[in-house]
Amino acid sequence: MRFPIRRLLAVAGALVLPAVAQAQATISGRVTAEGGNPVVGASVFLEGLQIGAQTTEEGRYNILVPAARATGQTAQLTVRSIGYRPISQPVTLTSGATITRDFTLVVNPLRLGEVVVTGAGTETTRERLGSVINSVDSSLLRRSAEPQNVVSALSGKAPNVNIRTQSGEPGASASIKIRGATSVFGTNQPLFVVDGQPIDNTTISTQQGPADFPGTGGTVTSNRAADINPNDIESVDILKGAAAAAIYGARAANGVVLITTKKGRPGATRYSLQSTTNFDKIVETMPLQRTYQQGTSSSTAAGGYVNGGCTAIDCTVPGSRIASWGAALSGVPTYDHSEEIYDTGLTLDNNLTVSGGNDRTTFYLSGGLTNQAGVIVGPNNRYDRTTARLKATHQLFQNFTVGGNFSYADVRGKYVQQGSNTAGLLLGALRTPPEFNNRPYLDPETGLHRSYRFPNPSPNSLTNDRGFSNPFFAINSPGNNNELGRFIGNVNLEYTPFAALTLRYTLGGDYYNDQRLEALPLTTGGAPTGQVTRFDVNNLEIDHNLVGTLRHTFSPSINGSLTLGQGLNSRRFRSTWVQGLDLNAPEPLALQNTVNVQVPLEFRSLRHAESYFTQAELNLFDQIFLNAGVRNDGFSTFGAGNRRAWYPKAQIAWAFTNALGITEQRGLLSFGKLRASYGETGREPPVYATNPVFTTGTQFGTGYGDFINASQSGQGGATTVFTARNPELKPERNRETELGADFGFLDQRVDLGFTWYNKRSTEVILNVPVNPAVTGSGATFANAAEITNQGIELTLNARPITTPAFAWEIGLQFGRNNGNVESLAGAEFVSYNNEGFTGAIGSSTVGYAPGVVRGDDFIRCGRGLTANLDSDPDLEDIDAACGANFAPGAVFIASNGQPLADPTDRVVADPNPDWTGGINTSVRLFGRLRLSGLLDIREGGQMWNGTRAALYRYGTHRDTEVRNRTGATITDVPGFSKAFPNVAGPGVGTVAFNTPAQWQSWFTGNGGVNGPTALFVEDISFVKLRELSLSYTLDQPWVRSRLGMTSMDIRVAGRNLATWTDYTGLDPESQLGGAEYLTQGIDYFNGPLTRSFVISIGLNR
Amino acid sequence: MNRALKCIPIAALSLLGAVGCNDFLSGGDLDTDPNNPPAATNSQLFVAAQASMWALHLSDPARLGAVFVQQYTGGGLGYLAIEEYDLDESTTNGIFTGIYTGGGLIDIRRLQANVREAGDSIYLGQAQILEALVMGAAADIFGDVVYSAAYGEENPPLDEQLSVYDQIQTLLDDAIENLAATGPTNFGAGAADLNYGGDPEPWTRLAWTLKARYYLHTAEVRGATAYAAARDAASKGLTDPDEDYKAQFSGNAGEENFTTVFVQLRSGYISPNPFFVNLLESRSDPRLTRYFDDDAEGLSDELLASDYDPPIVSAAENRLIWAEAAFRTGQTGVAQTQLTAARAIAGLPSVTASLGEILTEKYIALFQTLEPWNDYKRTCFPNIAPNAGKTTIPARLYYDTRDRQTNTSIPDPTAQPVRNDNDPPNAVDDVTGAECLGQ
Repeated sequence: MRFPIRRLLAVAGALVLPAVAQAQATISGRVTAEGGNPVVGASVFLEGLQIGAQTTEEGRYNILVPAARATGQTAQLTVRSIGYRPISQPVTLTSGATITRDFTLVVNPLRLGEVVVTGAGTETTRERLGSVINSVDSSLLRRSAEPQNVVSALSGKAPNVNIRTQSGEPGASASIKIRGATSVFGTNQPLFVVDGQPIDNTTISTQQGPADFPGTGGTVTSNRAADINPNDIESVDILKGAAAAAIYGARAANGVVLITTKKGRPGATRYSLQSTTNFDKIVETMPLQRTYQQGTSSSTAAGGYVNGGCTAIDCTVPGSRIASWGAALSGVPTYDHSEEIYDTGLTLDNNLTVSGGNDRTTFYLSGGLTNQAGVIVGPNNRYDRTTARLKATHQLFQNFTVGGNFSYADVRGKYVQQGSNTAGLLLGALRTPPEFNNRPYLDPETGLHRSYRFPNPSPNSLTNDRGFSNPFFAINSPGNNNELGRFIGNVNLEYTPFAALTLRYTLGGDYYNDQRLEALPLTTGGAPTGQVTRFDVNNLEIDHNLVGTLRHTFSPSINGSLTLGQGLNSRRFRSTWVQGLDLNAPEPLALQNTVNVQVPLEFRSLRHAESYFTQAELNLFDQIFLNAGVRNDGFSTFGAGNRRAWYPKAQIAWAFTNALGITEQRGLLSFGKLRASYGETGREPPVYATNPVFTTGTQFGTGYGDFINASQSGQGGATTVFTARNPELKPERNRETELGADFGFLDQRVDLGFTWYNKRSTEVILNVPVNPAVTGSGATFANAAEITNQGIELTLNARPITTPAFAWEIGLQFGRNNGNVESLAGAEFVSYNNEGFTGAIGSSTVGYAPGVVRGDDFIRCGRGLTANLDSDPDLEDIDAACGANFAPGAVFIASNGQPLADPTDRVVADPNPDWTGGINTSVRLFGRLRLSGLLDIREGGQMWNGTRAALYRYGTHRDTEVRNRTGATITDVPGFSKAFPNVAGPGVGTVAFNTPAQWQSWFTGNGGVNGPTALFVEDISFVKLRELSLSYTLDQPWVRSRLGMTSMDIRVAGRNLATWTDYTGLDPESQLGGAEYLTQGIDYFNGPLTRSFVISIGLNR
Repeated sequence: MNRALKCIPIAALSLLGAVGCNDFLSGGDLDTDPNNPPAATNSQLFVAAQASMWALHLSDPARLGAVFVQQYTGGGLGYLAIEEYDLDESTTNGIFTGIYTGGGLIDIRRLQANVREAGDSIYLGQAQILEALVMGAAADIFGDVVYSAAYGEENPPLDEQLSVYDQIQTLLDDAIENLAATGPTNFGAGAADLNYGGDPEPWTRLAWTLKARYYLHTAEVRGATAYAAARDAASKGLTDPDEDYKAQFSGNAGEENFTTVFVQLRSGYISPNPFFVNLLESRSDPRLTRYFDDDAEGLSDELLASDYDPPIVSAAENRLIWAEAAFRTGQTGVAQTQLTAARAIAGLPSVTASLGEILTEKYIALFQTLEPWNDYKRTCFPNIAPNAGKTTIPARLYYDTRDRQTNTSIPDPTAQPVRNDNDPPNAVDDVTGAECLGQ
């Protein structure tokens, strides 16, 4: 042992000691912008020597060059700062010299010379990129006024980056999809990488725990990237195309989101306090009728009504009397059941950071505290996050830097049952008849849960079902919460043994433990005997990444680099799900207080990946930039014979304006670049999909929840698995070609970027349906499907006015993606019905974009259908009955004046937008006042508005006020003509609705949630005023002298201030199920997003 | 070089669980699923197959049948469509698929192969009877089904429904023979048999009752010969209600009576149908209060108990098949004896045997099984009127989408037959001869 240590010391001495003994060279100076203001934090360094410094508050820098390295050579001294063009001057380094160099930087709106991280330990400058990387910096993130979730904050920031937030509830998840879906398995979300280290961004709801698939009810659950404090983020780089993402190989099929956290910089220690207050309101309430009471209309000749008839105790039994089809109300108070459950939410977000350092050490220390009380009345919708981070670097030797980045997050949430769920908030609230006062949710005499279906609970009704939970009972149930602790940290080394070679090493860990409780107290709707679910999730990801980059200058105009890297990754997941049924005592809501504990379900998995990669870069004449690379990935999740796979990439960028001699980047066409790239990425199969097994976890029953286990009465049971495993599985393949161009015009005042891409995903892993009677399984995993995505992306930014006192910028972004499922291994479609919504099921269907919703429709003309139209049992030809000249898509109207349901399952809605876009603008006045705004636009896409459908059936939707109308035909039915502009057949114009009973029969039958899905499919195009922000910066001398601050920011902002949409539900953006959900385009009592007003104060010194 | 590069970093990772550089991608939990067993024992297969068969007989299909024959009224979001006969491919929620997947025929066949190899004929016979219970119900509900060609070539053809019943008869004959086996290798299912504890004798009687049931299901098209065969088989079938073949629900979580859970989770989906309630009331039948609560607005506590064991094949059914078949083949004395014995099981006094009395008793006694619907399809009795706005009462369910999609032999729903082969529309009901209202 002794010998190596002594040798190490000798080596270290050789490196360090001469620097002390001889005279060093000193370079100093000042960096200013064109107006003369100092540029703070600019990086000044000697190219090739890896020696540099950052500018101070006054823009000054000071670089010491060890004498041993100051050998009289000439080096380029370069200055870089975000927003400015890099600039270089030659300096001659001689021992003992004192050199002064001042720089004046020119603004660089295209950010061309900026360093951009391209992957695991690799980086380049923006002008050299042959593919698109969208970057979102901290100021844009801050402006989004979204303190909880970095994913939500990316809404509208980049083309073809589509964000969907489950709802405005605290702790709700947001999903991100880049350039469409490439898979029919998994949620198509990108890999998240923080400071070079992959982290977990899954969403696993408590309902998903045992089932492999998410439920439609339960509570909201965060996507795990929300554990990152957005205030710690310096920038987010989104790698979209396969060429950009190929460096991440088999995990990059959906792109990569690279997050870089803030770091300290040399100079005086800086303190910053950001304090933000958000006031949240819901965006919209549901239109409900306040005219008709609980009950049913009589279909007898005499007409009239049968009212509730359940005031005694209970009206859970007779079907239609639980709906609001009773007589008109008069003289009794009515309630707005949509509005009363919400109030103003309040979010406090406080961040304190301390950062600084000297020329050898930097540090960034932050603490964040987010306390969110949501918009639902009461104490049980909360999200509280406490974070701490320390990021530090230290230069051990001139050529050897060590760093560490450690963060801890403590997240605690309280939730309310929601979604398609008889215990859920909106389901019970919106179905309540208008005259029933939900607010006293406890009976004044017995103190027990009362609901409109169980209005007078007797003392012994502690286990009687209330039908649907009273919304205020749901709100006040304390049983749904989680507590999560998460550590993300890494240590990193950077070593430059000689000028041309840099080695970078990162070893990182991401560990979290999430403890959930989802408990339903006694008398809960659907679970009157109570239920307690415990779900513990434990995830550990360790990542090792070693990269070496060798640079070489072949001639003054040709230089290049070669990178070699190795990665090892280990992901260990543990979960335990335990459910106890039937509470013993009403409290506590704990497992030991249940009398019927189900078999605990434990899930463990371990996945390893081992990767090697190499890439070469070549820069020819500063105008042609070539980049090619290949990665070899080995994954334990692939079949034994297919463990390893190759992922190549190549890209070229040609800055043709350099060839035209426009090197100063001025003039009408000030910059132009053409780029082309090709790359391949992959996706790994689900864990253990290659191992043939039996299962003890099968349950038998129906979709109505009446399941029994395979084991019974103490006798173990096991079955063939429903989804057969496949030992031959290999990674999915995405092959993507990307072409594009970037231009700067009018002295860079206008820039334009255009990208076209074509992505073909083959060998897509599919839960392919197989015939049960042939295989004994319902499906098998297979590399079978093929999906294509083609699209264009456009960004246009203009800075018409850029004077120091007044500046105006405007930017547009536009993205269009056309996805198409080309084949599904012979199947017509694969439904996502594991997610369980009868009547509206997400699917991949051949010939459509991935994710279309399937359901049933009315019988239409021109489809060659037959139906039984009279008492004669023979089937009649519909097309013949439609008449000669029906319009395309016309709905057939039978002679009774009503349409007929068609039992065929077919595609009824496509939730994917036709295009998305954003318009952002920013005006700066007097140098200090800034007004900015963002319009987020989504055109096209459809959603099944199941909420409206169900409220029609329950007679509580305002549209059902039509019930008193006489002489109405089918086209007078609310929503019908909008959904079906054309009708044909013998019954067109026939009066079908004359009495309340006829209307009720329609709405509870084909015209409501029991009828065809297609009637409630709506367009979800929208324009949202996503952000509007007014900020003022105080940095005048008096701020420093009187307040002791360098600057103060005051900001007033709003988020989701206005929405323009034709969608008649609460929110065209919300979705049933969170980010874990494959199926989009289903609204079934989804919570709305919120509108926020934000006041923020920042103190800096 | 490559190896060195590979191993050095792993040394750094070794504290984090990587075993060694050669095994980084395989070994341990990396390529062995730690959550599921690699193999299943015979008793595991038998237990799961019983549970799966209970679901086929007692969950949705029987509830739907009870709505169609107006023992239940369907309501609520999910069952209003059933009440309105608004059926489609998703109505059965995967029940058809479950006939063939884990717990269904695949595992029964797997078990049969195992015990055949082990020379355990008794176990084989018991597994064959389980197969008959599964495929019999499949034929009852769906008509033509894949059977003889199962687990073979792609796109297996459907066997005609009557052929499925014939194959079941052969299978049951074989089972009866196997159950009589003696010898040291014949152990039977033992404790894995949740109902009879592995005893081959009641299994043999169960097999005869099933033979009688499935002969009866062909009687509408095969006439007197089928009734005679049913009668003779029933004479060897179950006669002691203590030997009823029942689902065995412990009442623990995941082991609860389907009805209990369904009613709890789906309040308002099923309620007592006035037709059935009135029938029981008019006959002063004590089962009114056995089946339903005091106001006849919901099911009784007994039927809703989570550990209630509903019969799948009962002595009452056997005696009523026997009675009907005897009555129809002219053996009125036998019919009288069996009807009286069947009524005695329910604690009712004897009445003069007539086709109407026998079928009415069966309609009441076999509540919550598939048989009232099967009998209705065969006899148009009770001669109920279809629900408002409809002309025919559903006589079969659609195959599941999954099966249709993956088997070209299964036609589109619009091209599927409305009725099964064993069930041509009745012009009149078998008892009164009045015009059949629902067929």
